[in-house]
Amino acid sequence: MWFIEGVAIAFQAIWANKLRSFLTLIGMIIGVSTVIAVVSVINGMNNYMSAKINSMGSNTFIIDKEGVITSEDEWLEARKRKNITLQDMKAIEKYCDLCENVGGVVEASSRRVKYGSDYLEDIWVQGITYNFIDISDVELDYGRLFNESDDNRRSSVCIVGPDIASNLIKSGMPLGKDIKLGKYYFRIVGVGKSRGSFLGMNQDNWVVIPLKTYSKYFGKRRSLAIYAKARDMNLMEEAQDQARMILRTRRDVKYDQKDDFNITTAESVMKLYQGLTNGAWFVLVIISSVSLLIGGIVIMNIMLVSVTERTREIGIRKAIGARRRDIMWQFLVEAVTLSSIGGMIGITIGIIFALTIARFTPLPADVELWAVFVGFGVAAGVGIFFGLFPAVKAARLSPIDALRYE
Amino acid sequence: MLIETNDLWKTYQMGSEEVHALRGVTLHIKKGDYVAIMGPSGSGKSTLMNLIGCLDTPSRGDYLLNGRNVSGMNDDELAHIRNKEIGFVFQTFNLLPRASALHNVELPLIYNGTRSDDRLKKAKDALSLVDLTDRMTHKPNQLSGGQRQRVAIARALVNSPSLLLADEPTGNLDTATSIEIMDLLSKLHKEGNTIIVVTHERDIADYADRVIFIRDGQVEKDERKTVS
Ligand SMILES: Nc1ncnc2c1ncn2[C@@H]1O[C@H](COP(=O)(O)OP(=O)(O)O)[C@@H](O)[C@H]1O
Ligand SMILES: [Mg+2]
Repeated sequence: MWFIEGVAIAFQAIWANKLRSFLTLIGMIIGVSTVIAVVSVINGMNNYMSAKINSMGSNTFIIDKEGVITSEDEWLEARKRKNITLQDMKAIEKYCDLCENVGGVVEASSRRVKYGSDYLEDIWVQGITYNFIDISDVELDYGRLFNESDDNRRSSVCIVGPDIASNLIKSGMPLGKDIKLGKYYFRIVGVGKSRGSFLGMNQDNWVVIPLKTYSKYFGKRRSLAIYAKARDMNLMEEAQDQARMILRTRRDVKYDQKDDFNITTAESVMKLYQGLTNGAWFVLVIISSVSLLIGGIVIMNIMLVSVTERTREIGIRKAIGARRRDIMWQFLVEAVTLSSIGGMIGITIGIIFALTIARFTPLPADVELWAVFVGFGVAAGVGIFFGLFPAVKAARLSPIDALRYE
Repeated sequence: MLIETNDLWKTYQMGSEEVHALRGVTLHIKKGDYVAIMGPSGSGKSTLMNLIGCLDTPSRGDYLLNGRNVSGMNDDELAHIRNKEIGFVFQTFNLLPRASALHNVELPLIYNGTRSDDRLKKAKDALSLVDLTDRMTHKPNQLSGGQRQRVAIARALVNSPSLLLADEPTGNLDTATSIEIMDLLSKLHKEGNTIIVVTHERDIADYADRVIFIRDGQVEKDERKTVS
């Protein structure tokens, strides 16, 4: 009951000073909308990353030469390492009995792909073992996957991304067409599903060929990335250790030397990614705290002005029976209503901002309900916190002094 | 006895100087009385009225309203007494400028938690008592001085208080309107309301049945009309 009356008074007072109220809320609006927009973008990245990482599977691990490089020293050190070879992969396949589904991929540089007189530049070409597509996040749209004999026979076949299928082979069915990579022809046997783009990178123009075919035509100079699955989630550590020992032995790593290769898991990638986003969260918290603090102080200031301007009104209300808590409630509700309006405008602008970012920039954005609630709650909280002092001040006025105020 | 004051003092501190606005006022006012408090400007009339109206507490002395000692009450207890027992009419009307006449009259009922349908009915009744039924939705600045004062009187009456307190109710009004307002107060007195009017004008005081003269914070003279 009293709440409705309080909100009504608040709206009346805010409406009576529309421009001032709006100016008061600018800090609040900027603070909340920034939070909503940035949180949405971080969320978008998070959701994308975790989908990506989860598609790898939590019991899959990757062994490669460099791992994820985070400093120049690491890079210089990693460059001196021996390549990971097909033989390394075979050793793991053979001796790592805790591992299954061992596969490999060789990362090639981008190349020109030709079909007839048409061609596309900068296409990502990889050599993969036949089971690799199972491990990766690529799904086949139509056609077939590679099989063991493609690899063993070093067949000249390829699976292509949907953009290659549509942009290079302009007419007719892509399956069965021969495209040219370097000097060699490869027959298209499968086409992948679209994965869209991420951070501005097209993820749909790629070509994969069987790993051994790759070695035959493009040489063995490039280092391999080995993918393996632990037989059981509980055996993750043991399987990695086993693979590690096999490689250390094969690659003559002395017992006191560090591994000359790197093992990456979904978990470790997630940790690394979270480490990066923690920084972003921290900056976000600082920026939003500062703008909300400023927004709060402005609200406190305007509420103090409002209390002074309405001293006589307070006197009248007290003379006819308003208690301290009635007056305090009135001004507190006004402050919270004011800041909540700011919060709502901020949330709306933030959402529009996030959607605009997602639409017109490479960054993804997912607006999450919890962020909206947190934004609103924080706005209301700021109103309570910074409205309290002016409200208490109003409540404490003596009715006589307030009535006499000119 | 509705009002009993016993040696009321009110002292204001002005810097290092003490101003004694009231110097031992002892008064008794019965239920149903119509009393004028008269005196020159600065004599302490408003100070006395503020004490009687529970807007302020005395520096010394006792004040019993309806037999209850008010002197030691805290802010919220006083607010409750003001809401239930007292209706104020001020020289400057003291209406909320942004609220309609009806809402202004409703206000005291809001602070004692009267339900809204009940509130609306009582406020309309009070406005019809002062003949303003056709001005309910008007804001104060859309009303004449006399009409404003009648809204204020309706607001003062809406809770059926024990006491109507009017401090210079005609101070801001022209003569014709003053007479209109004083006639209204007389009518309300006849209907059983206890009224105290503060004024410095003799012809306003003459409406009352009893005139208490104040000078320098003390009761100088207490006149009763023999015929009523
Ligand atoms: N808040 C106050 N502080 C200091 N002095 C005051 C205050 N209120 C009233 N007074 C003094 O008390 C005396 C009585 O004032 P008041 O009761 O307003 O007189 P009246 O209403 O009869 O004109 C005056 O001398 C006035 O200056
Ligand atoms: Mg006075």
